[in-house]
Amino acid sequence: MVNITVIFSLQSLFLVGCVPGCLKICANVMSFLLTPLFHFQTSRDGVNWDLSEAVPRLPGETRITDKEVIYICPFNGPIKGRVYITNYRLYLRSLETDSALILDVPLGVISRIEKMGGATSRGENSYGLDITCKDMRNLRFALKQEGHSRRDMFEILTRYAFPLAHSLPIFAFLNEEKFNVDGWTVYNPVEEYRRQGLPNHHWRITFINKCYELCDTYPALLVVPYRASDDDLRRVATFRSRNRIPVLSWIHPENKTVIVRCSQPLVGMSGKRNKDDEKYLDVIRETNRQISKLTIYDARPNVNAVANKATGGGYESDDAYHNAELFFLDIHNIHVMRESLKKVKDIVYPNVEESHWLSSLESTHWLEHIKLVLTGAIQVADRVSSGKSSVLVHCSDGWDRTAQLTSLAMLMLDSFYRSIEGFEILVQKEWISFGHKFASRIGHGDKNHADADRSPIFLQFIDCVWQMSKQFPTAFEFNERFLITILDHLYSCRFGTFLYNCESAREKQKVTERTVSLWSLINSNKDKFKNPFYTKEINRVLYPVASMRHLELWVNYYIRWNPRIKQQPNPVEQRYVELLALRDEYIQRLEELQLASSAKLPDPSTSPAGPSQMMPHVRTHF
Amino acid sequence: MEHIRTTKVEQVKLLDRFSTSNKSLTGTLYLTATHLLFIDSHQKETWILHHHIALVEKLALTTSGCPLVIQCKNFRIVHFIVPRERDCHDIYNSLLQLSKQAKYEDLYAFSYNPKQNDSERLQGWQLIDLAEEYKRMGVPNSNWQLSDANREYKICETYPRELYVPRIASKPIIVGSSKFRSKGRFPVLSYYHQNKEAAICRCSQPLSGFSARCLEDEHLLQAISKANPVNRYMYVMDTRPKLNAMANRAAGKGYENEDNYSNIRFQFVGIENIHVMRSSLQKLLEVNGNKGLSVSDFYSGLESSGWLRHIKAVMDAAIFLAKAIMVENASVLVHCSDGWDRTSQVCSLGSLLLDSYYRTIKGFMVLIEKDWISFGHKFSERCGHLDGDPKEVSPVFTQFLECVWHLTEQFPQAFEFNEAFLLQIHEHIHSCQFGNFLGNCQKEREELKLKEKTYSLWPFLLDDQKKYLNPLYSSKSPKFAVLEPNTVSFNFKFWRNMYHQFDRTLHPRQSMFNIIMNMNEQNEQLENDIKDLESKIKQRKSKQTDGILTKELLHSVHPESPTLKTSLCFKEQTLLPVNHALRTIEGSNPADNRYSEYAEEYSKSEPGVVSLEYGVARMTC
Repeated sequence: MVNITVIFSLQSLFLVGCVPGCLKICANVMSFLLTPLFHFQTSRDGVNWDLSEAVPRLPGETRITDKEVIYICPFNGPIKGRVYITNYRLYLRSLETDSALILDVPLGVISRIEKMGGATSRGENSYGLDITCKDMRNLRFALKQEGHSRRDMFEILTRYAFPLAHSLPIFAFLNEEKFNVDGWTVYNPVEEYRRQGLPNHHWRITFINKCYELCDTYPALLVVPYRASDDDLRRVATFRSRNRIPVLSWIHPENKTVIVRCSQPLVGMSGKRNKDDEKYLDVIRETNRQISKLTIYDARPNVNAVANKATGGGYESDDAYHNAELFFLDIHNIHVMRESLKKVKDIVYPNVEESHWLSSLESTHWLEHIKLVLTGAIQVADRVSSGKSSVLVHCSDGWDRTAQLTSLAMLMLDSFYRSIEGFEILVQKEWISFGHKFASRIGHGDKNHADADRSPIFLQFIDCVWQMSKQFPTAFEFNERFLITILDHLYSCRFGTFLYNCESAREKQKVTERTVSLWSLINSNKDKFKNPFYTKEINRVLYPVASMRHLELWVNYYIRWNPRIKQQPNPVEQRYVELLALRDEYIQRLEELQLASSAKLPDPSTSPAGPSQMMPHVRTHF
Repeated sequence: MEHIRTTKVEQVKLLDRFSTSNKSLTGTLYLTATHLLFIDSHQKETWILHHHIALVEKLALTTSGCPLVIQCKNFRIVHFIVPRERDCHDIYNSLLQLSKQAKYEDLYAFSYNPKQNDSERLQGWQLIDLAEEYKRMGVPNSNWQLSDANREYKICETYPRELYVPRIASKPIIVGSSKFRSKGRFPVLSYYHQNKEAAICRCSQPLSGFSARCLEDEHLLQAISKANPVNRYMYVMDTRPKLNAMANRAAGKGYENEDNYSNIRFQFVGIENIHVMRSSLQKLLEVNGNKGLSVSDFYSGLESSGWLRHIKAVMDAAIFLAKAIMVENASVLVHCSDGWDRTSQVCSLGSLLLDSYYRTIKGFMVLIEKDWISFGHKFSERCGHLDGDPKEVSPVFTQFLECVWHLTEQFPQAFEFNEAFLLQIHEHIHSCQFGNFLGNCQKEREELKLKEKTYSLWPFLLDDQKKYLNPLYSSKSPKFAVLEPNTVSFNFKFWRNMYHQFDRTLHPRQSMFNIIMNMNEQNEQLENDIKDLESKIKQRKSKQTDGILTKELLHSVHPESPTLKTSLCFKEQTLLPVNHALRTIEGSNPADNRYSEYAEEYSKSEPGVVSLEYGVARMTC
């Protein structure tokens, strides 16, 4: 029997299992995995390590309290530790000698704090706090019943995790980090449109929305058809939900077809029409003379679009818009997506569903939604790149599904957006400036965890990007860590980048002056976020395979807290980096040898193709 | 050949089953003695070996012609439309005959001629030497010896002649034990772990019924446990589900009673039988898209096929085996019913986890020769080489390859070979082009005189080694001495490149391996350039000391200097992944039935612009 127990504990070691008995042994190994790996490392930049307490601190971050708690790790069981709470983070350090566990959680990640157990609860570690996070995990702490320690911790956490309810500023406004690059300068709309070749004969830049009077959720600067006057725009705005009129997102450099985005038309039950809107769409179509029909992609399922008529919305009917054809893309709304992600969490946290993994994964429908979004974007991209027609994309308000579709299609069409800065510009343009309601969807600093406005739309977009990067390993300048870092700071509230719902609100709050941009952090340390396989290509359109056979669950994101997933560096990537280094070495040696051999030539002029001229040529291919 | 009535049909259409727009290629269909060949209007050739055909179906006549659907054992499915029904009928009948031969002598291997002489052929067969392999493991030694009991196949017809048994097991014990084991397959050595001095042994189930026992068998097991100086306890792994093993008792078979054997620990590991595996694969293929693309619930279909669950069961058993040896230092005896299916899977996979030699190209061949071919896995019956009992067909070996593939995915640096190697082997267990996998046991193979009449696959694969090398392989890393796979659910994935290997539209656009392979080649090129230059410098130095400077030397650094050549060659390589494979059917590149298409798939896998049609195909599935 003794032998058998030996096997058992060793077996669990072998598999790094979750049997509570063996935890202590492997706690050392796991603690590394348990810390939010990417975040932990990035947060070190510009962090002051207070040596007396050994807790990382950002400039502007202040200590509030610390407490002895028992962290109930879902993988390793209870671990005694000391938790430090600042106005930015919750930091836990294990007090047990055989465990180096560290938790470093920005308070912005917290979605909900609950008390567990009452005065009468008996069981060990049954009295404490249960914290639900926005990044696919829960944290449980057991506290002593005596001395109000739980009440204190609950109140402090509530206060600093949900500053809005306590009239406190969001941490981003207190953050005094300095970076040598200013991320706020990354996106300049005029420059970006100029890069696209705008304005041109058919498209003009208008400042009609300079004071956000035409549409309060749109950016100040818009690109519209040259032939549409500002008065036309005002009239069209009355017929589009929240005045979000059709404006240009992207123009094809050669065939000049465009992607235009907007919200639904206000058709309503009675089937209202608006001559100006109809004319405006026709003007858009006519910017390309050879095109007979404008393609409209309504991102919603047909039924939902019809149902929207009841609330005054709807879609473009054939009768009213002769020169347009409408397709529905069947992408579901924010509520469906939220529930789907909840189901994903149910099957991956804390324990990964084992016996029915595949059918459980399918029943979350998460990958199916990813597939529909990608399929929609592929269709948009294909229309435009083939020059078949210009495309108008909308959903209901044009700030969720529309942003997903336009940005993904642009990523497929335009290799510029696949570079690190290009991607930042894409996010800044299609998501931030065009009013994806980050504040509502994420709930920054807001305590209403059950708010129906919350939804993982942006996460879904990043997931789609990840799926593409899996299928085209050389096409993107950035790596997986870049995407995960963006997602971590989507919640962290350390940067101003994702705060507020629209540009007008951000301007009012002077976000660019008072906060730091996430891109400052990333761009000042780009090497960490670079994909070694990246080969720059121009004009290559990426069509990912949007089949269930190719879509995968993003394990390194959704299951990253589980110690059973390996987070060791990707061997393929490692090998490639090795090879790159080797090649550089060879090229250098070659260069030296060439120099040596040409130096021995009596007359250097007989060697016109000297090595120094040739070498750059060799290098450009990599 | 008498079965062929029509050798050529024109205006045949080949449909792409993953295209919704019903796009097709028009071309000519040829029927040869060994292959079905389709040449489309772009002169692209599709070769299908008759032996690869698993099923031919003639569907109801349509307006455009008569549809002929061919399903292959390598998971290729082709859908032809033959304009005239009579032609279709002729081809259908011919294929029915040609794909199911009655005699071994009619198989391709007996007519296949790669233009080698007898001694080359014999050399090929001697490439893998099992005696050498046992020597490598460290047997015979003080505890294990070679037994001559089965020299004439007298004790067990399905075992090889040369068997290794514990030194203290006498011949009467062996003979007695073999009478107590199903088909006479008594416990023998499969793998010896030199450091741990522990052994993996294999056998078939005991004929214990409800109460029978056999002293010789008990002695033999004791001898095995005594041959391990470190741990006297040994494991007996019955790879079947307990229920099946119990049912076997009613038929006078069954499993070891722990009370009768001293020092054994008995363990069931629950791998299902060949019939369950066959129908599981069938279900997998249905989900896979045989029934078109309407299947939206891919994952639940995949799960209900049970295929990945079975793969995990085999893997779990192998992990258990490896752990018993590594952690407990115990010897293990593995059996199932007859000891040639599940037992082969578990023993070979367990050895692969333990011994990095089996993860090399040569070592993997040795492993297959040892645990599968020599120990009598019934290849011909399981692969349906001849027109036989369809109930004997089962994808047991395919499962083994898939387990290995899962390991290569989890440990990309631990294997010398790549996925293409596994696919190529899978291709040839069905192709009947080489003698290795013909027949069901060594005795039968000797009777067929395979070594005189056919060729061995291995030398051909070794000649093409370059194609099968894994660029990530790091042979020296101690991390990969013993593999400890993680069997968490999400690690088991659908093997797209096996089950969809011929469906080009479903393949990813880029292959990471090709990128790394190219990089490797570029580096080799650079290395050569360096050597070149170095030697030239040396040469020059010596010449300079002689005071001679020739024009030839001036020339060497002029426009055609190595660097320029290199840069040109980079350009080409980055644009087009290297494709050495040339389509040959008989002759220069014989082991390569499938690989070239595979390579071609990859080489064409980076189209600048994909037509809408592909896009639509991808959207719908």
